[in-house]
Amino acid sequence: MSIIRVRDLEYRTKEQLILGGIGFDIQKGDYVALIGPNGGGKTTLVKVLLGLIEPTGGSVELFGDPYRSTRHYKKIGYVPQNVTLLDQNFPLSVYETVSLGLAAQKPWFSFLGKNDQDKIERALESASIAHLREKNLSELSGGQRQRVMIARALVSDPEILILDEPSTGVDIISQHKFYQFLKSLNTNKNITIIFITHDMGVIADDVNRVLAVNQELLYSGSARDMLCCEAVSQLYGTKSHIVSHHHHHHDCSGSAC
Amino acid sequence: MLEIFDYEFMQRAFVVGIALSILSALLGSFIVLKRYSMLPDTLSHIALLGVGIGLVTGTSPLYIPILVAVVSAMAIEYLRFKKQLYSDAVLSIFLSGALAIAVILINLSNGFNASLFSYLFGSITAVSEEEVYMSVAFTFLCVILILGSYRKLLFTTLDEQSAQASGIKVFWFNLMLVTLSAVAIALSIRIVGILLIGALMVLPISTALLYKVNFAKTLLLTLLISILSVISGLFLSFYLGFPTGAIIVLVALVIFVTTLAGTLI
Ligand SMILES: Nc1ncnc2c1ncn2[C@@H]1O[C@H](COP(=O)(O)OP(=O)(O)OP(=O)(O)O)[C@@H](O)[C@H]1O
Ligand SMILES: [Mg+2]
Repeated sequence: MSIIRVRDLEYRTKEQLILGGIGFDIQKGDYVALIGPNGGGKTTLVKVLLGLIEPTGGSVELFGDPYRSTRHYKKIGYVPQNVTLLDQNFPLSVYETVSLGLAAQKPWFSFLGKNDQDKIERALESASIAHLREKNLSELSGGQRQRVMIARALVSDPEILILDEPSTGVDIISQHKFYQFLKSLNTNKNITIIFITHDMGVIADDVNRVLAVNQELLYSGSARDMLCCEAVSQLYGTKSHIVSHHHHHHDCSGSAC
Repeated sequence: MLEIFDYEFMQRAFVVGIALSILSALLGSFIVLKRYSMLPDTLSHIALLGVGIGLVTGTSPLYIPILVAVVSAMAIEYLRFKKQLYSDAVLSIFLSGALAIAVILINLSNGFNASLFSYLFGSITAVSEEEVYMSVAFTFLCVILILGSYRKLLFTTLDEQSAQASGIKVFWFNLMLVTLSAVAIALSIRIVGILLIGALMVLPISTALLYKVNFAKTLLLTLLISILSVISGLFLSFYLGFPTGAIIVLVALVIFVTTLAGTLI
């Protein structure tokens, strides 16, 4: 079953068309990389999926429901772009930050019950930051803060996790560990993951879907086939820039786009 | 029994003072963490405009400032939400505009006298019984609203986008915060004064932030520092005869500087 279904999506401001004619389906359990040049509209597309901005045309269905009629906040976790730039001095412990992920579902005047505390513990565990729970955000490294934000997104047990450039500001080794961690969430917990990235090397191996966006949808399909796609190749210069870790030999005849 | 409490106006000042210290600590914490520290100053000058209107038209100097501040706060938040202008520029425009009109109005009413001075710097003798009831009732309302939505408000303060994506109606929580602040500031101008209420909202939380503890503890510390400043300020004001607001802010400033010195050593 497709849990996200986008048809003819358009988003324009008064001055310019930012997204147009976008259509794709995402299945439960997909591990999706969303790529494209700066200003290509990746963040905008994600914001539309999240209901943060309203599309000016087309339709979005989440979990089979038309997008506007039922919001599925609880089922979608979101980690925004540039979390590492968030206010360094904000007085919040890791535990408190993760608990914010439950805020929207708690009615007014309710405290965190046993059940909620268990959820927070599980989220801390799955992001491997349980040992940091009493630390303040200001005491963490960029990569650790990134995991805190993911734990916060995971605490409501989402079915979809959307991350906007999660690996920016994280060094290469941590980046590698980070994508392993994402992949394990995808495999072990069957969470559908969509992340924006500029790092083609990382995505080529693990992801089972790639969406390339530059105002329109340039490509939607497997990472392997994308290597042969003309539009994407042009976007990123020569094909040699896209190198898979395993150095498969790609036969490009007849495939792509 | 201390003689200070023999005076009815001092009893009133203490009740209102403690209520206002709780208000300014709770609201000030969220406002400062939102990087919105200019808001209290702007709203207090807008409240002065309300005082000016009150003086010229001979209407209530309590309710008109509240009304004017609340309406302006909503306008400010709306403009900020629309993101057409930088929010600090919006605040600055409102502040100078309100001050300019207020000065002209007060001039028209020949009010440049002792009563204006008490609006600027606060006066403990000025507190009426009506203000006592208003302040206490409003403080209760505020505490209930803020504690009742504590996590939602905190999430909104930390990161509006993520909060909204998780399903929190951030626009309404922002509106709630600025509206409550507007009322709190308009209520406090009698006792702390227009020029100093901003400092009382900003100093205690800034001191608490120096301790680098989690949010719950930061909020508690802010409350303690705020209440302590107001109570000792009232005592000092009574015995030394200085303007109440100035002394309260001075106490808060001394606590801040001492703490800062402690962290630097
Ligand atoms: N608030 C806004 N108002 C008007 N235009 C905007 C706004 N935000 C983004 N845009 C425009 O929309 C287009 C897409 O921006 P978007 O942030 O979605 O790109 P992106 O693919 O996420 O880029 P990056 O890789 O730099 O993060 C850009 O041309 C940008 O100028
Ligand atoms: Mg972006």
